Amino acid sequence: MMLEVPGAAMLEAVTLTKRYEDGVLALDHVSFAVKPGQIFAMLGANGAGKTTAINLFLNFIEPTDGEARIDGIVTHKEPLLAKQRVAYVSENVMLYPNFTAVQNLDYFARLGGKTGYTKDDYRSVLLRVGLSEDAHNKRLKGFSKGMRQKCGIAIAILKDAPAILLDEPTSGLDPKAGFEFQQLLDSLRTEGKAILMSTHDIFRAKEVADIIAIMNNGRIVMQEPASRLLGQDLERLYMQYMAGHTAAEAVA
Amino acid sequence: MFGILVQKELKAILLSPKFAVTFGICAFLLLLSVFIGISEYNASVKQYDTGKQLADQQLREQSSFRMIQTKAFRRPDPMQIFVSGLTYDLGRWAGINQISSPRLRSSAYSEDPIFAVFRFVDLAFVVTVVLSLLAVLFTYDAVCGERESGTLPLVFSNAVPRAQYLLAKGIGAWIGLVVPVVLALLLCMLMVILAGVPMTGEHWLRTGLLMLISLLFFTSFMVIGLFISALTRRSSVSFLVSLVVWVAFVLIIPRAGVIAAGQIVRVPSVAEIQGQRDAFARDRWNLFRQDLDSLFENRRGAEPDSMTEEAMWTHMQTQDSMRRAIELDINAFEAKLYEDLSRRRNVQERLAFSLSRVSPASAFQLAAMSLAGTDLDLKRRYEDGLMIFRTQFVDYANKKTEDSPGGFQISFSSDKGMSIGTPRSKAQLDLTDMPTFVPPVQQIGATVEGLLVDAGLLTLYSLLAFAGAFVAFLRYDVR
Ligand SMILES: Nc1ncnc2c1ncn2[C@@H]1O[C@H](COP(=O)(O)OP(=O)(O)OP(=O)(O)O)[C@@H](O)[C@H]1O
Ligand SMILES: [Mg+2]
Repeated sequence: MMLEVPGAAMLEAVTLTKRYEDGVLALDHVSFAVKPGQIFAMLGANGAGKTTAINLFLNFIEPTDGEARIDGIVTHKEPLLAKQRVAYVSENVMLYPNFTAVQNLDYFARLGGKTGYTKDDYRSVLLRVGLSEDAHNKRLKGFSKGMRQKCGIAIAILKDAPAILLDEPTSGLDPKAGFEFQQLLDSLRTEGKAILMSTHDIFRAKEVADIIAIMNNGRIVMQEPASRLLGQDLERLYMQYMAGHTAAEAVA
Repeated sequence: MFGILVQKELKAILLSPKFAVTFGICAFLLLLSVFIGISEYNASVKQYDTGKQLADQQLREQSSFRMIQTKAFRRPDPMQIFVSGLTYDLGRWAGINQISSPRLRSSAYSEDPIFAVFRFVDLAFVVTVVLSLLAVLFTYDAVCGERESGTLPLVFSNAVPRAQYLLAKGIGAWIGLVVPVVLALLLCMLMVILAGVPMTGEHWLRTGLLMLISLLFFTSFMVIGLFISALTRRSSVSFLVSLVVWVAFVLIIPRAGVIAAGQIVRVPSVAEIQGQRDAFARDRWNLFRQDLDSLFENRRGAEPDSMTEEAMWTHMQTQDSMRRAIELDINAFEAKLYEDLSRRRNVQERLAFSLSRVSPASAFQLAAMSLAGTDLDLKRRYEDGLMIFRTQFVDYANKKTEDSPGGFQISFSSDKGMSIGTPRSKAQLDLTDMPTFVPPVQQIGATVEGLLVDAGLLTLYSLLAFAGAFVAFLRYDVR
């Protein structure tokens, strides 16, 4: 299924390393690349370093070694330039509680440099992520986690950036919304976005991703094109890697 | 980008429920304070007018220029509506006569001590206490609150420069809060106009400057709140820190400055000075008595029992001039003591104010009082004015007495004491060219000059706090 996508990487980690102030080595010389039109899924236990990797791409933290690049721009050297090219959905989207969904979308779209959207645009993107119409003009105060997550995804779509970072974007989504999100990812891929996603959903990852990476203790212990994993039981593989087997042992 | 950020801050403030409530309370308090100020002012004016009438009447009823006395009154000023300052602590009038130097007596607080318990609530008080609290309440969680509610990461996943973000936070909140505050202040002005308070152009100028310095003060507390919000990660911590800082700036430092200055520069009490003077006088008189005794001894030794009348006369004259010289000496000594006292008081006052000005609240209060002319200078101005008036009045009375002798005959002498003669005539006094007391005015030029220091300090505090907020926010972890 996976095609060899031509061209340079849009998202790239080069021996990316992060040791926190308290000494925890959260990311240990991690390298990978996501090209336009590719979805890169990171699997891994809690605390494996997935969020750390995404935060490094957003320059929320500085790398201890190596660098994260977006469209060739080193994020910790030119963060503003890099951030123009990336949209982000966190694992727990938080928005302004006193603003309505549409007001939140409008503000963040403008921050993302998109000032030309109309009310209709906001309406259609909210419908696209599955937020029912009666919630569009309600204050965020009463929104459930899944509803906020949908708004966060809508904001990322509106930014229309070439790179997208998704940190467990489907956490809190109901099954229907989860399925719709999968379709959404597909269409974003067709639009040529480069998508880096962390997830705990092995099955969905296998279905939607082009490359699957398994992380453990700050290292990528497996990184394979999804096409090569087609016949394999990914869940068993994952367990083996978590148990500390080396790549050779696991595949054997 | 900047416009978007400012717009959002404004919207957030206007939509927040605490805005309507706090602003309502604040506007109500401002209006109430001016209302109270106006009625107090009107009462003072009434008291002033009747007092003056009564004094005029009493003056006309006096029969002789020798014992003539009058009262000089402190004139109420419309500015006391906004900043009462020392208005209610200072006496309302002073007795003017030949014997004692004038002193202001019967202050509003001494007559109605109940008001002194909680003091008057004036506009300056509402600004110092309520507006500063409001400013801090709206900015203490500007940064940490957004981090806590989790919106900061999404904001900074966009190409938002931190400096712009912080500045927009400050400016957005500033506009959102200052516009309603200015509206409330304008309503206060309207109330003053409607109440028919006699405001001159200069009064309006002073009021305008007072509003400006109030906004500057308000701004400084907003920026301090912003600074604290960028230093902390949780709004509960920020709230506590803000409260402590507010208490320190508004309640403690102003008083601490004065107390510290009192410890550093000691000023003797009036009783101490009296004691020193009395001791000096006693010594001098003792010395004089000794001199006198030895003089007498000498004379007796030289020519016993042959005191001619002439010799007696010269002896008495020498004695008299010695006595006078001693009196002059004592007076000079006392004058020096008081001069020293007032010099020390000045040093102490300057030190107290300099120390207090570490707090924006003191800088504002001092500026407000000097703008309203109700500061410590009010007392000095009146004391000086009363002294001058007393001299004029006494000169006038003396001249009149020479022109038309009559009335009481008073004579002082150090050995016989005081004796009073009987009045001879009871004719009406002609008071046409009697000097009248002109209440001293404060020069606006000097006021503005002093104001610049405080305005500069308030600006400096705002800039420093913003610089601090900026440095803190540059390294702020948005996660
Ligand atoms: N701010 C921080 N300071 C110190 N250590 C941290 C910090 N943030 C994360 N860590 C540590 O870094 C490691 C990686 O954390 P990270 O959040 O990247 O994991 P994750 O893969 O996203 O986990 P999860 O699946 O639970 O989201 C963990 O051991 C965590 O304790
Ligand atoms: Mg995570």
